[in-house]
Amino acid sequence: MVLNYSQPLEISNLTSWLDSTLRGNLSEFWALLIEFVLVAVVLLTAYAVIALILIYAERKITAFFQARYGPNRVGKWGLLQSVADMVKILLKEIVRINRSDRFLFFAAPFFMIIASMLTFGAIAFGKGLHAIDFNIGVLYVTAVSSLGIIGVLLAGWSSNNKYSMIGAMRSGAQFVSYELSAGFALMTIVVLAGTMQFSTMIEGQRYCWNIFNGHISSIIAFVIYLISGHAETNRGPFDLPEAESELTAGYHTEYSGLQFGFYYLAEYLNMFIIASIATTVFLGGYMPIQVHGWDGFNQIMAYIPTYVWFFGKTAVLIFLSLWVRWSFPRLRIDQLLNLEWKYLLPINLVNLLLMVILVLTGFTLTGLFPGLF
Amino acid sequence: MAQQIIFFVLAAIIAIFSILAVTAKQIIRSATYLLFVLLATAGLYLLLGYNYLFAVQIAVYAGGVMVLFIFAILLTNRPGENVKTELPVRRVAAGLTALAGLAFCGHIIYWNIKRVGDLVAQSDITPQQLGHSMLGTDKYQYLLPFETISILLLACIVGAIMIARKR
Amino acid sequence: MSSVSQYFSGLFTGIKSLMLGMSVTWKELWTKKVTQQYPENRGTLVISDRFRAELTMPHDENNEHACTACGICQMNCPNGTITVNSKMIETEDGKKKKILDTYQWDLGMCTFCNLCVLTCPSDAIKFENTFENAVFTRSKLMQQLNHEGSKLREKKKEPLIPKGE
Repeated sequence: MVLNYSQPLEISNLTSWLDSTLRGNLSEFWALLIEFVLVAVVLLTAYAVIALILIYAERKITAFFQARYGPNRVGKWGLLQSVADMVKILLKEIVRINRSDRFLFFAAPFFMIIASMLTFGAIAFGKGLHAIDFNIGVLYVTAVSSLGIIGVLLAGWSSNNKYSMIGAMRSGAQFVSYELSAGFALMTIVVLAGTMQFSTMIEGQRYCWNIFNGHISSIIAFVIYLISGHAETNRGPFDLPEAESELTAGYHTEYSGLQFGFYYLAEYLNMFIIASIATTVFLGGYMPIQVHGWDGFNQIMAYIPTYVWFFGKTAVLIFLSLWVRWSFPRLRIDQLLNLEWKYLLPINLVNLLLMVILVLTGFTLTGLFPGLF
Repeated sequence: MAQQIIFFVLAAIIAIFSILAVTAKQIIRSATYLLFVLLATAGLYLLLGYNYLFAVQIAVYAGGVMVLFIFAILLTNRPGENVKTELPVRRVAAGLTALAGLAFCGHIIYWNIKRVGDLVAQSDITPQQLGHSMLGTDKYQYLLPFETISILLLACIVGAIMIARKR
Repeated sequence: MSSVSQYFSGLFTGIKSLMLGMSVTWKELWTKKVTQQYPENRGTLVISDRFRAELTMPHDENNEHACTACGICQMNCPNGTITVNSKMIETEDGKKKKILDTYQWDLGMCTFCNLCVLTCPSDAIKFENTFENAVFTRSKLMQQLNHEGSKLREKKKEPLIPKGE
């Protein structure tokens, strides 16, 4: 009701205008074709641009955590540093490895990047900025993101290098384990929201985000999702697949140039994807902060475009991920598997049961205070 | 029109990579080609509008089974070596088995193809419907098979632990 | 302690210590940055006096140094960095005397071990902290330390380098 108030800054105004003009002047086939191509181009561009911004932000924040300045020579405050890095990586030679499996070696980075792009397409960036909205959105995301690990395993094997191989095996074990926890954490919220579709899930969180709605259970699920998402992206304290001191660079040791760039890009984008899925599922996605009954406040909040809300919440989670990354030392492989199988998974199962009980007995916030939320 | 084109592309991918998966000399390549087949099958489900089946196909087959396949292949002895061509007797036996399988599947498809029109009356099944029919006890609901399968899986897990324990 | 309580106490102490670690890094995020931005801060740059960057031979206002060309520094140098060229001259009262002709030091070979300075009996050389030693050709690394037309300082004067430095 409140969100229908005119929002001049919303991009969906532009997209709906474009849609109506295309449909007015062309047949439906051509209009759809042009729209598909446009959406694809915009998504690919956003993919690259977000990765560049993330790389810059990561380097800056990392530097601040270590009492340094970070990149500050290329452009004002080093803003062009990641652009310069991108140009460098595009110009680098792609090295062919002796006695490697050519076909698999060149195919592996594509698995990684395609998996991350397919997941990227399912993110709701704002109201009306949603490329794929299946009724099984959550399941789709977990399914598609699991393809990336095949790229890692194939890369490790086809490089004909034992370090790559060990890195790939570690990454595989880690990914398969933590995928389970991430899935269970998302499932907990699916129980709460009663839907797997991202758009209805976001609409349902208008007045009460899922993280507050399910209180104890939601917060546990949120923390578990962040931990396992962090582990899935091979970052932070969970970066043993790329442990420099033992494995040089893990599964992408033998890659150079653009192929390495694919892995690099996919790693950063996976961080963004994990953060944005967490935003969508737990923190109300692109919904502004709305309080029941405070109409003036709600209108002011709704005046801020939805994509700003989305990127703001995502940025907070990305910062959290960086904070964790630079706080903790790297785990050993047995500690890593202990954490997953002895702590996260049992807690997760109990938590799922707890959430079912909360929902059935009506002990959620919306169930307890129906007028307020 | 567009659906037809996509269908033919997917069908071609399935056919070509199925043959490649069988004829490939390296077992890891074979697994990769099989992965493409499974992905293209998922694409077919998506084309038909079965979103749930599409996601399950990718999560279970591409993301789960294939990862385990590749893992298992990587752990075997020399996965990169070319497989030797088998003895003629074995080849004949393998060919006969394949033909028998083809005949069996062909028979089922042939006798059911007329009934497909009746079966796909329902467009897309929502996850809610699916969950209710999985865990319901009424007619056309499948709680008993579901639980049987979970007991089977439990037995598998216990067996795996027994094998993995070195005592 | 039973294994169950061990499990839970381990879990909660783990969470507590993780939070503690994150609070430490949060404080670290706001500390003053310690990076020295070198070319910009040349004016305010502080280099330790004891930093050994360049071997020098101090000359006083009369263009006199303290080197007697004894060659001990040359003998003590592990890398053969120093070459002391001496010449014999005849003094006014007819004595023959060995004085310094050129004192060559090769910056490119030096490991800045300080043995030459430590063993010099007349404290004629010292290391300075002028660290900007980059040059474009290797020949420029060969330096002559004694100035043109300089001569040995007479005794009884105060040493140019105070003792104990």
